[in-house]
Amino acid sequence: MPFETIPAAPVPLTAEQAGIMAQQQVKKHHVAVVLLHWFNAIVWLVELTTGAALLVNPAYSVAPQWYLTMMADMFGSRANLLRFHIATGLTWTVVFLVYAIFGWRHYLHAEVLRKEIGLDKDDFDWLRIRTLLLINKTKEHLPPQGAYNAGQKMYALLVYTMVPLIMITGLIMTFHLIATSVVAWAMVLHFFAAGMVVSGLMIHVYMGAVFPEERPAFYSMITGMVDELYAYRHHFKWWREVRLQQQEWESELAANNTAGNQQVEGATVQR
Amino acid sequence: MARYAMVIDTERCVGCQSCTVACKSEWDVPNGDARTRVRPAGVSGTYPNFTSTFVVSQCNHCDKPSCLDACPTGATWQDANGIVHVNKQLCIGCGSCVGACPYNARYINATGGVADKCDFCSARVEKGLDPACVGTCPGKAKIFGNLEDSNSDVFRLVYGGTAHRIETSNIAIGPNVYYAGKPEHVEMAAAAFPPRSPYTIAAGRVWSGVVRKLVFLAVGATFLGQAVAFFRQLNVGEKQFED
Repeated sequence: MPFETIPAAPVPLTAEQAGIMAQQQVKKHHVAVVLLHWFNAIVWLVELTTGAALLVNPAYSVAPQWYLTMMADMFGSRANLLRFHIATGLTWTVVFLVYAIFGWRHYLHAEVLRKEIGLDKDDFDWLRIRTLLLINKTKEHLPPQGAYNAGQKMYALLVYTMVPLIMITGLIMTFHLIATSVVAWAMVLHFFAAGMVVSGLMIHVYMGAVFPEERPAFYSMITGMVDELYAYRHHFKWWREVRLQQQEWESELAANNTAGNQQVEGATVQR
Repeated sequence: MARYAMVIDTERCVGCQSCTVACKSEWDVPNGDARTRVRPAGVSGTYPNFTSTFVVSQCNHCDKPSCLDACPTGATWQDANGIVHVNKQLCIGCGSCVGACPYNARYINATGGVADKCDFCSARVEKGLDPACVGTCPGKAKIFGNLEDSNSDVFRLVYGGTAHRIETSNIAIGPNVYYAGKPEHVEMAAAAFPPRSPYTIAAGRVWSGVVRKLVFLAVGATFLGQAVAFFRQLNVGEKQFED
């Protein structure tokens, strides 16, 4: 443990402290979340590439003609392409439904959402300073962040509203539900929601795969772990929480051990 | 290759609805919908010289079908023989084509939830049969055939100037169901059921007018934003990020 007492606000680290912390790993993501993330990534790749190829009318299309032809030819026909798009989308919906049911208390409970994706004052400061830093216009330090930074929170808010919309409108179009005009508007909303997610997705992919500062976050989506130095620097509030919890566990464990040892001794005496 | 067309002889039609019934039973058309209809054109003339006629209408398999341009998914397509089809596997049932057809020939099938209309009974035509409505008409008022076959009745009637299209100066998309008979009856038919202006459904207008622009703008803006960040990263180097 590089600290005697856990600081309430970020303090500058000595080289020795930083060295120790860089070696220590903290668990950030459950393996189920890691798997779900990459499942989701594959589904998005598949659904975006097939979805864009389904819009063939020039008044609706977003992709050039050669792409539409290429995709339809790859799948044999556009009907096959649509079938594949629907099958993948339905699988995705079912998987996330299972996640929503079993992960409700852990990931989707209102309290969890408020804490993990609700924006606080630090977050608004973070957004301002982060933007200025990107264009090299400030020397300010970024305010401490929770498990997710303000950018990630905003993206999560976008995804959490758009994904259910995509699923519901997809079901409406697949099964021709409710009414003709509802199907027509479902088509528009499906496209709009996907488009909004894509605009955020571009930043998400850039930050994860290209931006050097967030590289540990990328690896954490493979191993589930981040090094403590990264956690301290990028997600201080979360780091502090994890450390405090660990401290509590350790003191409890110590207390239990003492109590347990006494019991064992007592048992020996009795025998 | 064939180019199919139909001629309705208003003089032979007695308005018995046999064609409507034959079509409904052949294609399981739900109650309230119809692929083909027979409607009275009203009465014209002055006492005691009144006249009236029936108007048989269905999909016209137009030369330039407006429904084809309206369909977002490409479910509506036109065969080389001129027949306009709906690919039910691609149709989502948005109703764009229903609004686009000036002849109200399309409907959303309540059973399947997708667009439906006359396809000249192409499944029968492929087997060398006449469309169900043609075979059943007691007065032989519906004449079906190939416009590229100079021996066919439709060729004779259409190119001989006997049969006419119901079009207006504004809406001329080349319907291939022609009307023959007394000139005043054809005129009555055209006056009673003229083609209406095709319209784009509101959702379609919002898609191309607002939503697509919005999506391009949002994606473009974030792309630009990260391009700026990326070039700065290239410029500054990655050293400063690694303590």
